[in-house]
Amino acid sequence: MTDDKTAGPALVLRDVRKHYGDVRAVDGVSLTVERGEFFGVLGPNGAGKTTLVEIMEGLRRAESGTLTVLGRSPWPRDLELLPRIGVQTQSSAFFTRLTAREHLATVAALYGTGPAGVDRTLALVGLTEQGDVRVDVLSGGQRQRLAIASALVHEPELIFLDEPTAALDPQARRALWKVLRALKGEGRTIVYTTHHLDEAEALCDRVAIVVAGRVVALDSPDRLVGAAQAPTRLLVPADRISVERARSFAGADRVTAEGGAVVIETSQAGPLLAALGAAVGLDGVRTRTATLEDIYLELTGSERDA
Amino acid sequence: MSAYAALTKASYRASVRDRTTVFFTFAFPLIFLVVFGLIFRGKTVTESGRGYIDYIAPGVLSWGVGNAAVFGVAFTLMQWRRDDLLRLVRLTPTPLGSVLASRYVIALAIGAVQALLFVGVALLPVFGLRVDATWPWAVPVLVCGITAFLAIGLVIGARADTPEAVAAVANCVMVPMAFLSGSFYPLDAMPSWLQSVSRVLPLHYLNDGISKALSGRADLGSTALACAGLAVFALIFGAVAVRVFRWSNES
Repeated sequence: MTDDKTAGPALVLRDVRKHYGDVRAVDGVSLTVERGEFFGVLGPNGAGKTTLVEIMEGLRRAESGTLTVLGRSPWPRDLELLPRIGVQTQSSAFFTRLTAREHLATVAALYGTGPAGVDRTLALVGLTEQGDVRVDVLSGGQRQRLAIASALVHEPELIFLDEPTAALDPQARRALWKVLRALKGEGRTIVYTTHHLDEAEALCDRVAIVVAGRVVALDSPDRLVGAAQAPTRLLVPADRISVERARSFAGADRVTAEGGAVVIETSQAGPLLAALGAAVGLDGVRTRTATLEDIYLELTGSERDA
Repeated sequence: MSAYAALTKASYRASVRDRTTVFFTFAFPLIFLVVFGLIFRGKTVTESGRGYIDYIAPGVLSWGVGNAAVFGVAFTLMQWRRDDLLRLVRLTPTPLGSVLASRYVIALAIGAVQALLFVGVALLPVFGLRVDATWPWAVPVLVCGITAFLAIGLVIGARADTPEAVAAVANCVMVPMAFLSGSFYPLDAMPSWLQSVSRVLPLHYLNDGISKALSGRADLGSTALACAGLAVFALIFGAVAVRVFRWSNES
């Protein structure tokens, strides 16, 4: 028999459903996450992201549909599967009155691994100096990093992170990105819930946008942005051109004045830029292409207004 | 390190680092000993001819041990669930049994220290407790008693979601039981209906077993009866606790 531990996708969901009363928290989700993939789960609060991820983690039971995690079913609680999964804990979930290092050593022991990974993991999330600090006096950002460390200490194959950078300052955030890229480099699979769309764009191989319990978009950030054909925005300093004159250019679909700039929306950025360059010069002209955030707002906005 | 050992160590550290709770866990029964010991100093109970202290000391000790077991485990369970620590444990391959076993060992250790400290103080001439050679019979009774009250604590901790709720429910259970089981005054001096009522309360069996062991009236039969009574409560509440146990507050 071959070792099937690293074969097959990390996650396979087929028509997974879960409702609470009349609310369909997860309403027929199907998706596959490959091994080594960095997979983002995006969506407004209350869209069912958390329930969906908790079903994947084995904390909740799917009402219908099928679901395999690393080739096994996460429900009922599977003691052989659990050590292969790492979940970022809530930032409150620390053993009372222990130090950061003691907490992490306890978590490691709960996963049945030795204390060897403890100091390495503390260093990984930048908490080496806080190792002997009691968990109750750690700052918000430090608590969050310790919660992330709890997901990594036993070197799992599949890692679930929930808004991991929410309470971090920009430096710590970038440091964490580096850690996450390194984990991906080691071939680990990461499922990542976030509200930071720039982060999803920078890190994720693919993202699923969840609205009202359904996956409304699922692709790489690049392709999602490309497929949407959102207009490019050209920002010309206001002292260079008037709104009226900007409107006279071919391809200028919509022109507005915003702050110190005249903003031209266009679907033909190349020709328009060339014409602008010839007429007023390109010095100080900035271009804004659509980002994942634009796509996200488009996909989630209508649901919110409804 | 096994999950059980790690949890025991974590619980131990959490306990000893909370000085206030440590102090009052051990001081609380002593305060009652001092109060009742001084009120009834040198007096004997007419019905039995035995000294008040021979009733009060085992009674207050049983109640103190039971109280510590109930509150300790109920608070911890409620807190671990509220802080999502149980969720964390749930995500590791740690069996629920290891979590409970670690709390059990801590509760037994706290009970042992409480008992030693309490009897040590009660032996002081001012209180005048005499400990008979049959005292080792108290050990199995204490173990069974802590088990039974731990099970009660588990039920409370599994249902109550806030510290206030734990305190309210646990007090509501433990304070009336202390009076109805004769922890603070000799049951022998009470009306017979009250003596009958006390037989359906676990504290009565703990009282009785320890009291007999310390006063030289214990033998295999009386100890087995006390232990059996406590075991019944342990089984009933243990079964209820397993049924009402929740990994998180939401579901």
